[in-house]
Amino acid sequence: MNILLYLLILLLGAFIGSKNLLKAKIMNNVGTIQTFALLFLLFVMGVKIGLDKDIIYSLGTIGLQSIFLAVFSIIFSIIGVRIISSKVLREKVKTENDI
Amino acid sequence: MTFKILAAVFLGIFTGFFLFPEYLVSHIGLLIDFGLCLLLFFVGIDIGKQKDILIKIKDMGFKILLVPIMIAFGSIMGAMIGGVLLKMPINEAGAIGAGFGWYSLSAIELSKHSAQLGTLAFATNVSREVIALITIPSIAKYFGKLECIAPAGATAMDTTLPIISKSTDGGIAVISFITGVVLSSLVPILVPLMMKLNFLY
Repeated sequence: MNILLYLLILLLGAFIGSKNLLKAKIMNNVGTIQTFALLFLLFVMGVKIGLDKDIIYSLGTIGLQSIFLAVFSIIFSIIGVRIISSKVLREKVKTENDI
Repeated sequence: MTFKILAAVFLGIFTGFFLFPEYLVSHIGLLIDFGLCLLLFFVGIDIGKQKDILIKIKDMGFKILLVPIMIAFGSIMGAMIGGVLLKMPINEAGAIGAGFGWYSLSAIELSKHSAQLGTLAFATNVSREVIALITIPSIAKYFGKLECIAPAGATAMDTTLPIISKSTDGGIAVISFITGVVLSSLVPILVPLMMKLNFLY
């Protein structure tokens, strides 16, 4: 599935990043390239949503309902992660405090 | 950054709805895949540049799995509570929440029950992805880095991963990817399971 492809690409990037295989000029501009690629991807994802006329028209009737459910899901997941975040990141916090 | 993200998404929706040429429609999936792969490559580079990530991840061990578990729990609980307030059947609301932002799969699964439920699942999970894209930078800044994975849900391994990586660091990006993989694997199991809990209402 796609998961495998994503993992491969991430690993390829990680390998190149750790070995510093790209030219310094590219490495220093990774942030800018990333921002442009990201905004382009978001634009295209927006286009895909906009092309789905059914979903746009149904937003009038079920839009508020769906946003309501999504917001509740999001808020409770954030609370869930908040409860365990200090437990998961404990090692990291320690090292940060050491510095 | 939040404004730029918002502008890009809504400009895209506007373009898709009013302007997008018909003959390019079939290529849109390819365009998204290409953009996504390019971004994941850069996320990989960011991860690779930080040498101690693997050690940190190893230190955290299985505790990392608490992140997807809590997100799964919170998403379903939240949708159920929202569903009660909307006077919806609680198991249907839970099933929609168990989509974790993966709109295509949850919508297909739930449209087997009714077209209306499928559409609501689609719209809710699209909303979740869009809200996640817009709010992740602020959540990372004001609530915490690990917390910003929460709104992303199943998309934490692909579409929202670049934003999470940009708003946090390589270590969180690795946790985010793992979280996304776990949650994506849970969607096809939990959505039908929630529908079976029809004794809840």
